Amino acid sequence: MTNLAQLFFDAASLGGLYAMAALGIALIFGVMNLVNFAHGEYIAFCVFALIVPSTDAVAVMLLGRAPALLLVPLVLSLGAAIAIASEYAVFRHLRRADPVAMMISSFALGFVIRNALLAIYGGRPKAISLWPELNTPVAIVGADVPLLQLIVILTTLLVVAGLAGLLKKTRLGLEMRAAAENFTMARLLGVKANVVITGAFALSGALAAAVALIMATQTGVADVRMGGQIMLVAFIATVIGGLGSLPGAVAAGFLIGAASVLLQAFLPLDARPFRDAFLYSLVIVCLLVRPQGLFVPASAKPRV
Amino acid sequence: MPSQHAQNRLAAYSTPLILSAVLLAFVLLVVVLDDKALARTAAEALVRVTLVVGLWIFVGNSGVISFGHAGYMAIGAYCSAWLTLKPQSKALFLPDLPPWLMDAQWPVFPAAIASGLLAALVALLSGAAILRLSGIAASIATFAFLAIVNTVYSNWEGVTGATSSVVGLARYVDHWVALAWATAAIVAANLYANSASGLALRATREDEVAARASGIDMYRHRLWSLVISAFFTGISGALLGHSIGVLNPDSFYLGITFISLAMLVVGGIGSLSGAVTGVLLLSLLIELLVRAERGITVGGAEFALPSGSQEILIGVAMIVVLILRPAGLTGGREFKLRLSVPRIPLSQEPTSTN
Amino acid sequence: MSKLGVFDISVRYGKVPAITDLTFHLEEGERVFIAGPNGAGKSSLLNAICGRVPTTHGRIEMDGDLLTGRAPEAIARLGLSMVPEGREIFGSLTVEENLRVGTGIRRDAEAVETDIEEIFAAFPILGERRRAAAGALSGGQQQMLAIGRALMTNPKLMMVDEPSLGLAPKIVDQVYDTLVALQEERGLTLLIVEQSSLRAARVGGRMVLMRGGRIVGEGNAADMADRDALAQAYFGNTQPEAEEVA
Repeated sequence: MTNLAQLFFDAASLGGLYAMAALGIALIFGVMNLVNFAHGEYIAFCVFALIVPSTDAVAVMLLGRAPALLLVPLVLSLGAAIAIASEYAVFRHLRRADPVAMMISSFALGFVIRNALLAIYGGRPKAISLWPELNTPVAIVGADVPLLQLIVILTTLLVVAGLAGLLKKTRLGLEMRAAAENFTMARLLGVKANVVITGAFALSGALAAAVALIMATQTGVADVRMGGQIMLVAFIATVIGGLGSLPGAVAAGFLIGAASVLLQAFLPLDARPFRDAFLYSLVIVCLLVRPQGLFVPASAKPRV
Repeated sequence: MPSQHAQNRLAAYSTPLILSAVLLAFVLLVVVLDDKALARTAAEALVRVTLVVGLWIFVGNSGVISFGHAGYMAIGAYCSAWLTLKPQSKALFLPDLPPWLMDAQWPVFPAAIASGLLAALVALLSGAAILRLSGIAASIATFAFLAIVNTVYSNWEGVTGATSSVVGLARYVDHWVALAWATAAIVAANLYANSASGLALRATREDEVAARASGIDMYRHRLWSLVISAFFTGISGALLGHSIGVLNPDSFYLGITFISLAMLVVGGIGSLSGAVTGVLLLSLLIELLVRAERGITVGGAEFALPSGSQEILIGVAMIVVLILRPAGLTGGREFKLRLSVPRIPLSQEPTSTN
Repeated sequence: MSKLGVFDISVRYGKVPAITDLTFHLEEGERVFIAGPNGAGKSSLLNAICGRVPTTHGRIEMDGDLLTGRAPEAIARLGLSMVPEGREIFGSLTVEENLRVGTGIRRDAEAVETDIEEIFAAFPILGERRRAAAGALSGGQQQMLAIGRALMTNPKLMMVDEPSLGLAPKIVDQVYDTLVALQEERGLTLLIVEQSSLRAARVGGRMVLMRGGRIVGEGNAADMADRDALAQAYFGNTQPEAEEVA
């Protein structure tokens, strides 16, 4: 029983992280058919923004020293800012390009950001301590759950609910949903392309920042590569969730988190190091079974 | 008198001639300059030509972006290491190899061929599944494939050495060997592109629906091109290993995926000439920037770019090319010889061939 | 000054010309039908006017404002609205949300609410299903929704591309009755693509015949329908299209 509860919390918190990252990618894909490979680097950027720029092994907190009440909105706006900036500098000039060119340019942009971080902060992972008290375990239904896991799960729910509310209840949300379904038609009804796209990038960047804060607290490490792995998973989640479908991205994020935790728990010991290989094989199987995505109603037209 | 059609075909076959001549000129220049560091750079650039041309055989003809080719590269590189390393060092570093592989000590050339064949076989199997998909889903699946290969090679301690590097590969790949393979890849790519399968595949790239409607079996042609493509990509992996002498799974992950796609895209994804141009130009740019990072002395004053600016500038260059010339520098056109056979208007036949 | 002026425009897709040197005017409050066979360039003309496809030549003006080169959203904000071929409703949005997408350009929040109620009054079925996903509506209901949605931007000029496509004749009658009523009530100018000259004649208005990207005939819709034999000469045998099942 204890084990099961533990597994549940592990799966839900990992899945929540994946879901948030996947939402960030799906939002942008939805409005402009861009598969944004730079998303992982937005995450890394936000983590590094917490510390003083230097190549020393010991990290000195910069933004990270600010009280949470200030820190959280600050980092979220920083994430939004870098996403908006990248749209302005790169993707705005590629609106009429085909999705492949956009995808590759986002790959290039990610490469640029990653190497800029490497140049400024050095390649070695640094230990950072952001809200270390959150890693103290609390006992819930017989499982020792780090407080942070609970916070992650709660945050995910809050973020997803907040985003859903924003999309459902606000003018921008309505325009974004309309644009995600049929951008040209939305524009023919007077929806401004720039507003919607900038809005999507801002939200996506803020989501990356939320993921960054959670990862930094959870792992206690600032590493340039930390965005890459989660970006890959998130990217896969958006595809198996059905490209452009936000609920699909969330569901698939949780699904991958759960699959990953379950594989880790139930694979034979010898096979555990190869967990990701099994995970990605499952992904390929998923794609083969439902290329249009797991959570897309059968009536939906393929977008790509 | 050769018909217009035959002339076009001949002109199409002149492309590999021009490209090989350019590469040969490049190698001769390196030989004349007699600079050791330059020769090494040239060899690496030519290995990349093999890689990118290999990648182009699939991506250029099918229009499907593959993020998985670094996986085929890793498969080729490790295969060549298994076949050519001394049994004693294999016993030490890779103790779990099966006995027949442990004792194998092949000459380098058959080992390279075998590496290509293994990569091609894996491509046949993985492609049989992945190529059922199309568009972005297919690209994601290739990414998943890359992640699978990377996970396996990074953790299979007794067979791949996992994350500790495999060392001691014979460094036989100099600029001549690399030139020979690059030329072979270019010729094969051109032959494939002008074969019935290649032409059919490119028709699907232009218009998938119409091509399907006209009875083109897209799946078969895509699979076939992936197999050929993986063969040369696998060989390029083997060549890379035998050029630097050390293997590590992470050398065949996102970094090389990025750089090979960058070269392809900058040169122009639509043509073989674009693939080769992209490699040469970006290799040249990388070399210049690396040297600039080390410091250049101009009139007594030393300038050095901050380290890391090489990668940043390559990324920026790529974005700029994509914005200004989305079809790449060659715009999808091939370098061709203009045959000087005068065009005589055909008075009898209708001029249906253009 | 005419409501809409199209001066010598050309549209091409790659190397394929869709419209060649077309000139055409629309007067305030007028109702004009565009007829012609498939590939005549009817939809291309509408798409060029609303800024969906670029023109390679010529200019388009509405109320003296230059439309050519403007973004579709800017054109919509000048008071032009479009009901596209295939309707293109937002299937994942509710009926009411579909109606609200185009209201972002309006500053009269209260009028928006009364307009929505007016549309629900005109199409009661939409009112009944205001919270349902628009994708679940039938073809005819979607057509009404697309018209309602276009009206919600409070346009001065509305373009409707093939409102009868894929609909049962009875529903088509209803759609046209509503369009005519709305036009009279609001003083709209209407530009409608309609394959059937008989239908156009019954509704009444001016008719423009297109073929091969050019205008090949023009006149009163009723007269034009009488000269259907002439149209036959132009178009060959007009076979009714395979109807999309709505």
